Amino acid sequence: MEFSVNGKVVDVDVETTDTAAELLRERMGLTGTKVACGTGVCGACTVQVDGRTAAGCLLPAGSLAGREVTTVEGLGGDHPVQRAFAAHDALQCGYCTPGFVVEAAAFTDRWRAEHGTAAPSREEIAEALSGHLCRCGAYAGIYAAVAAACAGEHDDPEAAAPARVEAVSKITGAARYTTDVVLDGMLEGVIVRSPHPHAKVGEIRCDGPLAELLPPDRVVRYAGQPVAAVAAPTRAEALALAARVEVEYAVLPTVLSSDDETVVFPTKEIRETAPRANEGPLAKAEWNGNVRGPAAMSWRARTAAKRIERARKNGDRNLVEATYTTGVQAHTCMEPHSCVARWNGGELRLHLSTQAMTRVAEQAAERWGLGPGQVHIVAEHVGGGFGSKVNVTTDVVAAVELARLHEAPVRVVLSRAEEIVDGGTRPGTRIDLAVLTGEDGGLAAFTMDAHGDSGVSIGSNAAWHSRFFYGNAPRRIRDYDHITNRAPGIPFRGPGLPPMLWALEQAVDETALRRGEDPIALRRRWDGNPKRRALYDRVSELPLWRDRTDPGVGRVRRGVGVAAANYMYFLDPGTKVSLTVEQGTVVARIAASDIGTGSRSVIAGVVRSALDLAPGQVRVELGRSEHAYGPSAASSCSTASIAPAAQDAARRLRKALRGHSLAEAEGLEVVGRRPRDRRGYVTPFALDHFAIGRGFSGAVVVTEVEVDTLLGRVRPTRVWCGIAAGHIYSPRLARSQCEGGVIQGIGYALFEQRQEDPATATVLTANLEDYRIPGIADTPEIDVHFHTEGWDHVPGRGVGIGEISTMAVAASIGNAVRHATGHRFHDLPIRPDRLLEGIAE
Amino acid sequence: MTAIEAALEAAAEAVRATGGELRAGGTDVMTRPARPLVDLPAGADLHGITWRPDGSVRVGALTTITDLLADARLTASYPALAATAAAIATPQIRNVATVGGNLLQRNRCWYLRTPGFACHQNGGDTCPARDGAHLYSAVVDQGPCVAPHPSTLALALLAYAATADVHGRAPLEIADLYGDDPTRDHVLDSAEILRAVHLPPPVSGERTAYRRATARERAEWPLVEATVRLTLDGDTITTAAVAAGGIARTPLLLPEVAEALHGGPATPDAFAAAADRATARCTPLPRTAYKVPLLHATLVDALTAACTP
Repeated sequence: MEFSVNGKVVDVDVETTDTAAELLRERMGLTGTKVACGTGVCGACTVQVDGRTAAGCLLPAGSLAGREVTTVEGLGGDHPVQRAFAAHDALQCGYCTPGFVVEAAAFTDRWRAEHGTAAPSREEIAEALSGHLCRCGAYAGIYAAVAAACAGEHDDPEAAAPARVEAVSKITGAARYTTDVVLDGMLEGVIVRSPHPHAKVGEIRCDGPLAELLPPDRVVRYAGQPVAAVAAPTRAEALALAARVEVEYAVLPTVLSSDDETVVFPTKEIRETAPRANEGPLAKAEWNGNVRGPAAMSWRARTAAKRIERARKNGDRNLVEATYTTGVQAHTCMEPHSCVARWNGGELRLHLSTQAMTRVAEQAAERWGLGPGQVHIVAEHVGGGFGSKVNVTTDVVAAVELARLHEAPVRVVLSRAEEIVDGGTRPGTRIDLAVLTGEDGGLAAFTMDAHGDSGVSIGSNAAWHSRFFYGNAPRRIRDYDHITNRAPGIPFRGPGLPPMLWALEQAVDETALRRGEDPIALRRRWDGNPKRRALYDRVSELPLWRDRTDPGVGRVRRGVGVAAANYMYFLDPGTKVSLTVEQGTVVARIAASDIGTGSRSVIAGVVRSALDLAPGQVRVELGRSEHAYGPSAASSCSTASIAPAAQDAARRLRKALRGHSLAEAEGLEVVGRRPRDRRGYVTPFALDHFAIGRGFSGAVVVTEVEVDTLLGRVRPTRVWCGIAAGHIYSPRLARSQCEGGVIQGIGYALFEQRQEDPATATVLTANLEDYRIPGIADTPEIDVHFHTEGWDHVPGRGVGIGEISTMAVAASIGNAVRHATGHRFHDLPIRPDRLLEGIAE
Repeated sequence: MTAIEAALEAAAEAVRATGGELRAGGTDVMTRPARPLVDLPAGADLHGITWRPDGSVRVGALTTITDLLADARLTASYPALAATAAAIATPQIRNVATVGGNLLQRNRCWYLRTPGFACHQNGGDTCPARDGAHLYSAVVDQGPCVAPHPSTLALALLAYAATADVHGRAPLEIADLYGDDPTRDHVLDSAEILRAVHLPPPVSGERTAYRRATARERAEWPLVEATVRLTLDGDTITTAAVAAGGIARTPLLLPEVAEALHGGPATPDAFAAAADRATARCTPLPRTAYKVPLLHATLVDALTAACTP
């Protein structure tokens, strides 16, 4: 058939089942069109067909015959809406960006033809872009960008500079992600997964090379666990081959509840293989059948328990006691886990969607018996991570093993179903919390038992973090992992904190209500952190809080809630940045990924201002493991590690230049190191490259919701997110990241929940239709405020913001819904069915 | 046989020969496991909107939802159709998805769409949702399968008493496209081709509304949805047609609600009393009990919206 693509007529043969996205990506090399969900929900694959947009993953390739197709490449970067996306930072990881841009371009053209340069309303933009999902949550920037482009503010190509240094490559589809990598002779790898939640694997038969992916005891412990992997020249052939693999399963009893008599990890040795949902070292705990715990982080536990027990016996109304639950939340990054592996003269080369290239390179070297420097990782652009891409994951093992077996490059890209089932989740929790206020109105004690629904993983560690919040009152803090035959939890943006705060911050709110005290005033009294106190002071004076009104008894009730968060400050003290003078410019290099957090821009900004350079004079090359040692983009440690190292490098370069111009210094290279914090760190030496620095970052979030009590819907309308993390290196990008944190928190509070079949624990929400993440229309107006004082002991005075921004959001929504409806919701997410049932009580 | 009929016959024969499935826009069939697909013939009379001398209208089955919404005369004449169609899916789905495809699409039950479960719809003889995870299942229990019908457009067509033109059959009422067979989501054979829907001449001055209950603001399948059409004489309801979805195996016209409204006042109490008639037929599963008050609320909301100038 013939059709036109980006103005060029092409002639191709297609099969009935081919999709337009496959045709464009795989046969025409137009990889700007991304495939993220594969079911027409997320819009990453959106293309224009005769000027109308369509989801390329569902569009039959044959339907393009005789039509004119425009992809993101065809827009060429010249469309005003593309410039607007770049200027308003309407993107983070960038994986969804081409789809948004193609849709927004069609909308903007249509809008301007009908309305001239009148700006569309938020509702009109939301409707136009309702078929797109952004997991980073760049929606606030997208609203601004589309409105500005419609208003004609970006018709002049010079009107505004891009907010992040790689923006142009992301808005044009040029940015290459691991899923876009094609190597000569490359095969496609597919993973064979267990259909059984618990089984011993016997013989595996396959009519070709096969890589086993089983644990040492050959027992699979959740439906969807990897068993083996096979590869073939095309994905369709690989899938067909995988379907022909015969696996003998001796089915074992399924453990759906931790009190089941079957034990998921029956031996000490096999317990050691249990995946981890925590970051950093794991607190010691006993195993009792399928329950691991308590892992205790208590402070004067016996005093706390005694006080609570006495209050309970006396019916003390200063005791606020309840059980809270949270759902299992999936990371579901827009770019799925993906790896392209090839062996080259005994060395291993990976293109990898990773947050942690140095860490993964170390793990890979150990796993495959290679020396340092024999594993090379490229991760130029990474389509989101959120904690799910910090290890040698199944995609890596499968690609590497298959590449060795086939002596050819192999690409493994998880499907969306695999991603949601096995790509990572935040464990669900049940938290029993009792908070006691003393006669003096202070916090007298609390007890918190957190029971993690962590599947086959351990380290759900939610209660743990309550050790460091609200002063030093006695507290008994116990974490339990409840092991079942479900997919493992892994670290997810502020691991443990969102569920812990869902409980704690609602209990604090309830305490304030009982005492008739302003919830912010009570927090201010209990919370000794001076930086957070500054945030309390600020927000309590804002109309959003000060002028909150009686929600009344009408259909739509408005409520305002507050919640706070406290988080440790992590850094990687070994971080280095190299600067090299090349052709009159300074090239900064570091072995780190920018997963949408803005590391490139932070480094460029630091180097530019330290050396008084123009924007074009600094180039940042990230994403190669050969570069100077860089940190994992995890635990909010990137900026606090990278920026001071870049600063140090710039200082060294200035010195080395000795007043000479860059033109005179071709080839000059310096390596900057991350200077040590004044007074050092809490941890005497780095553990797994991480150090815990002194001080805590803080957040205070105030959310206004409208509750439609008739149809059971909660709509956050305004959010104030105050962050105390010291100096903000790149305010626009930092704001974007915090807005995204708020939006993920909204998803956690209202929509997101892994659902499973109760009989088999098979995940039923393994797609983006049933696993519901927030869309643009669910985005409130978000006001991000940075309190930048303090942190004088940290070089550069700034620490991370990626996680602190999301932790308290769900609790603030819970408190706002309580204000609006008078009902306290203990279970997340607050779905319409729960809301209706709750307010009917 | 005309050329059109020959083309339809050829498509039908291709389906019979391959054991495959007809494809319109593809937004549903492309999400399901691959099998032989037969594209409906282009150039036949399946596209487009044709007005008849009696004022009625024929909408070709391959008309996209976007084209339907872009037709000013159609949307002005059938406001409930416009309001209902506008709520379907997302712009890039509406640009491709068709009227016929919407009516004849497969249900969205997660057990049907997750590999590894046998159910009435895929050759099995059980409904795993019934005793399993059925938060989004039916609340009007019509038989072994409890997957709600996904067609939103059908609500408007039911409310307008539209008919379906199926190749090789006498015209069918829209309601007769659907039945209680738990193995499928409509009654047509795999090779039967829906050519068009016919809407009777429009009624001027009618009050209409569509409402959908969801968790998120947009782009979500409805928990419950409703389309209403009313005509008023002063504050008295003179005619009413009410249809609801998300609640049963089939899109449901609710004549008992219309009957309760007929001749009565357009007041909140009357709306609530009429909605009670609909909830009376609910037989919820353990986890769909919330849909009983939600159906009531959605109907009241839609009726209120229709009467709000």
